[in-house]
Order: sequence, then C-alpha cells, then structure tokens
Amino acid sequence: MAVTEEIYWGVDCGSSEIKVVALDGQGNILLKRKQKTLFPLQDHVRLALAGESGDLSPFRNEGSHDIKEGHKIIATGYGRKYIRFAHDALTEIKAHFIGVQKQCDLKDAYSIIDIGGQDSKIIAACNNKVDQFAINRKCAAGTGAYIEELGHRLEVPLKDMTELARGNDKELSLNSFCTVFSGQEVIKTLMNGERIENIIYALYSSVVKRVMEMTAITTDMVVFSGGVLEYHSELVNMFIRKLEENNANMTCILSPNAQYCGAIGAAEYGFKSS
Amino acid sequence: MSNVMKEYFLDLDRAAKDPARKVAWCTSVGPAEILRAMGFEVFFPENHGAMLGATRVCMETIPVANAHGYSPEICSYLTSDIGAYMKGITPLTKAFGIEEIPRPDVLVYNTNQCKDVMHWFEYYASEFNAPIFGIHPPTNLPEIKPEYIDDVARQFEALIHFLEPVIGHPMNKEKLKSTVALSLEATNLWSDVLNMAQAAPSPMTFFDSTVYMGPIVVLRGTEIAVKYYKDLLKDLKEKIQKNHSAIPKENKRIYWDGMPVWGRLRAQSNIFKENKACVVASTYCNSWIFSDFDPENPLPSMAKAYIKIFINRNDQYKEDYIEKMVKDFKIDGVIFMAARTCPNNSNASYNLPRKLKDKGIPTIIIDGDLCDLRCYSDEQSTTLIEAFLETI
Ligand code: SF4
Repeated sequence: MAVTEEIYWGVDCGSSEIKVVALDGQGNILLKRKQKTLFPLQDHVRLALAGESGDLSPFRNEGSHDIKEGHKIIATGYGRKYIRFAHDALTEIKAHFIGVQKQCDLKDAYSIIDIGGQDSKIIAACNNKVDQFAINRKCAAGTGAYIEELGHRLEVPLKDMTELARGNDKELSLNSFCTVFSGQEVIKTLMNGERIENIIYALYSSVVKRVMEMTAITTDMVVFSGGVLEYHSELVNMFIRKLEENNANMTCILSPNAQYCGAIGAAEYGFKSS
Repeated sequence: MSNVMKEYFLDLDRAAKDPARKVAWCTSVGPAEILRAMGFEVFFPENHGAMLGATRVCMETIPVANAHGYSPEICSYLTSDIGAYMKGITPLTKAFGIEEIPRPDVLVYNTNQCKDVMHWFEYYASEFNAPIFGIHPPTNLPEIKPEYIDDVARQFEALIHFLEPVIGHPMNKEKLKSTVALSLEATNLWSDVLNMAQAAPSPMTFFDSTVYMGPIVVLRGTEIAVKYYKDLLKDLKEKIQKNHSAIPKENKRIYWDGMPVWGRLRAQSNIFKENKACVVASTYCNSWIFSDFDPENPLPSMAKAYIKIFINRNDQYKEDYIEKMVKDFKIDGVIFMAARTCPNNSNASYNLPRKLKDKGIPTIIIDGDLCDLRCYSDEQSTTLIEAFLETI
C-alpha cells in the first residue's frame, strides 16, 4: 500500500500579501511562495496554496475535512480567522517566534523585531518560549503601511528607497506620531528644498524610533523578520546602529526567509503538533 | 434580570411624570443612599452611557456631541449621553418603550471617580434648570486618613441640607440607617457573587458580571437589589455544586483591569471562549463593593466607603490590590484595557503592568474604549488577546 505523502502548509495571511510555505514529512522546506492579498480571501488563499500547478484538489472546499489526506494547513496573520478550511490557526506572534526558532539556532534570550504591512512587533523570547511581546499601538507609524503611504506621496518606488536613504548627507528626522502629520511634515520639508535622500532617511529613522519606543529591548541578540525589513536593507542597518548604540554587546541578524518567518512558523507548528 | 432593570426604568419613568415624586440624578459611585433615604427616585447617567455603548447607538450620538464642542478625547459616556440628548433619542425606547430619560429635579455628583461627571452634570443642570450639588473628596489617595472621612461626611451633611427644600421634608435618620443597611447587605451579596468565580472552573465570567452588576449600580439601598443578589448567589452555588463551567474546559484564568468595551462584549467573550480562557475577575465589577458601610454610623461610613474605591487610589494600592486578586482567583494573566476616553479607569499608563510582570504576573495592554469604537480595533485586540493566551 502506498504511504500517504505528508505536507504541512503554513499560510500567513497578511494585509498586503499571502505567504505560503510547505514542509515535507521531515520538516524540510519544500516550497515558499506569495501573492497579493486579494478577495474573496478563501479563493486566493487556495490559489496561493495551489501555486502554478493550479491543482486545487488538495484544498477543495470550506471545511478542513475536505482537505486531501496527508495535507495539514495552519493559518496565521490578520486573515487567519477567515481561512475556514485551515486545520488550526495561531497568531503571528507565535508563528514568527516558531519560524525564527526553527531557522536560527539560538540558545540564549533574544528579541525579534518584525515589521509587517500593518503592524510592527517586538517579541522577547527566552527558554524556548515567548516571554513577552509588544505591538504598535493606535496608528500605522512604524509599519510597512507608513513607508508605503509616504513613498507613494513622494512618488518614490519602494525598491529605490534603500539606495536613496544611503545617499543622505544629514540626519533629518520626522517628529509626528501619525502618518497624516508625517506626510504634511514631509511636504513642508520638500517645499523647503530638502534633498529626497534626506527625506527617505528621515522616514526610515522615524520607523526605527516608533518601533524602539514600543518596549525596551533587554536582550543582547536581535533577529529581524518580516518582508519590510527584507526589502529595506538600509532600514535594517539603521536599526542595527541604534541597537548597538544602546547596547555595546548587541548582535543582530536577519532571519533567513525573513518574509516567510510567519508562514514557516505556522507550517512548523502543524508539523510538530501532528 | 431583565425584569428587575425593566421595572426600575418603568418606575423611574412614572416618577418623572408624577409631580408628587422627585427624581435625582446621581453618579455611579455617588451617595445614592442619601437620595433614596430622602425619597428620591434615582437615575444614573453612566448606566445610560453603558446602554448607549452596549447597543452601539453611541456611534451615532458621540459625533453629535463632538460637533457641539465636546472633544472626542473626553469621557465617551458623557459624549454618548449628551449626544443622545441633543439628538433626542435614548436606548430606553427600544428596550422598554420609554420615550425619554427621566427629567431631573436635582443632580448630585461625586468627583471620587473623575471630574468629567462634574462637566456632564453641569450641562444638564443648565439644560433642565435644576439644582446641582457636587461632592468633592480628596482624590488619588495612598491612604485613607480620618480627616478625609470627616471632610466628606461634612459634605454629605451639607448635601442633606441642600436636598431638604427640594424634597420638601427633613431627612429621617432611621430611614437613612435602614437604607445604608440595605445597601450594605446588597453590596456584601454582590461581593459573594463575584467571589463565586474563585471556584475552578468558574461558573461565571466577567462578561456575565457586566450584566449582573446592573442592580448594584442602580438599585443600591433597596430590597429589590438584596433579593436579586440572594437569588443569583443561590443559582451560582448550585452551578458550582454541579461543577458547571462557564467556559467549557476552562484552562486559563484572566483578570480584566479597566472598563468593558461595551459594544464588543459578545465578540470579546467569544475570543476567550474559543481559547478556553475565563475572565474570572475584574477591577470594574469589584468597584461596587462597599464593605465599610455601617448603618449605625451612616455618613462617616459612607464617606469612607466612597473615597476608598480603587479608582480614587494611588498606584501602589492598585498594584497590591491586583496582586491579591491574582492570588485569590488563581489568575494566570492580567489584561489592561486602556480606554482612550477614560484615563481614570485605565491603569496601564504609569508602568503598573510592567511592575506586575516583574513580580511574575503576565500582563498585556489592549487599546480600546468604553463606548467609542473608533478607538478600538477588533483585529489588533483579537491578536493581542490570543497571543497573550498562547504565551501564558
Ligand atoms: S470614570 Fe471615566 S467613564 Fe466614568 S464618568 Fe468618569 S471619565 Fe467617564
């Protein structure tokens, strides 16, 4: 009799992208892919799971009972509750933690800084579990949405931002808490003839400030995860500079598959709990 | 329960329409016993604010008050309620067929909870051209000193003198004693009711208590409240005997600090249920325990009970109080609800959660509001609560 192939899917359903990861029966990453978050959500998650093959058969209908034998789906991210055919769901806090834990061999206490589309998190982990966490409060400042919104106002494509920020010749800063006020500040600065490089630097710098004021980081190790940090490498450098300034013993790493940490964590959760 | 509250509102409505009866408006931790003992029927605008919140009608009324100069940053009970008055609506109509809130013959507030109540009552005093009296006790107290009690007891005496011409007769001392005795009995029963949640599994949740609390807020000093809590206590004892669990397979016990998010009670209750967690105790529901009432010594004991309340204390008191609750109710974690429009009932701003965390008590802060759902994110709160439950 043929043995049923086991596949553990992790679906991280974020505000801007759906990330999908599959692990094999030994917990190795088989594939990872992503697509824009579109609606109806269930259908697009199913398409993301099926990938280019277009084979929807393992993910047929509404309930998890309809999923093909051997496949297990764990959802995370803001949309986790809406993926009704998933076998289980966990929050992005736990998913990111498990994703980092799986990929980075960390023995001592560490913190994860994750910048997502609509929220930023700092997760402190020790003794192989989440000790505490903080999420940005009240508004978008310090999140991917903030960078996107201001990039849009400045008509600067996201992919060009890192290079522009590196070209700064002064350490300009934005003071406003909220995205709208920051936008106004940016326009005023532009009107004053400021170089775009300095404005992008200021924008990154305000993300660093907003995140660092969420909670005090007390560990000597920080792992970065999430798509925003994967794409804005100068933002990562600015975080590192700030963290090292606060703590001379600080070690910082960018998690492998930073954008997929949540999906990997969800898949791993399915793998481990089966 | 619904009958007790229905009867209360219907009678208030009758009283407001009857020239022989007088209606007093009172703050929720104001001296209701004095008003009842003198023969006033008592209406509590905060209870009305909570109804506006729970029915979410407030989302139509808060903006009206905002547009008339009442900031979105101030008490959203106040803005919900004043907005409803400006708009000429009340949730009492749909609930009980009552057309309008009962007109006040007098308004009495106590700033032991906040100063918003003063602004709120002053608005209505001017609208209805009704007499108003404020009790202004010492606030934010590390300890209760005898001089504070004397001060407030004297203010209560002054209140009685102020009320006598309004009601048309002097205070009957015996009636005051018996009203305080009834209030004490009800508040002790309420305390017993809340303590039933010390049982594991708990027969009730904080979300149930937000409903059960109606009579202790609006019917203190009456036989009705005493009977209601006697019956409720009996029910809960039976549930415990039968090992009835409010949350099937309860495996986590949570303490809720801060106010309820009235418009999201059901949604939040479901989050906990799905995660097999029971919110067993809260600062809010416990705020109506006034064990210091003494019928033989009515005014000083009321003064003590009403200045001693949690909201009127310093953070050290609050820290010790929550720590004790954590022990008594075998709590696994504390949720602080930071209400945007009520800093008075929000205790997360001066580092209290972190202090408790340092003592080994897990804590989390969620942002929200009592009424104004513009200050609340379902997604973020759900994620925070679930992630918190995952980690403890
Ligand atoms: S304590 Fe808070 S909710 Fe209550 S009346 Fe005062 S400001 Fe409003």
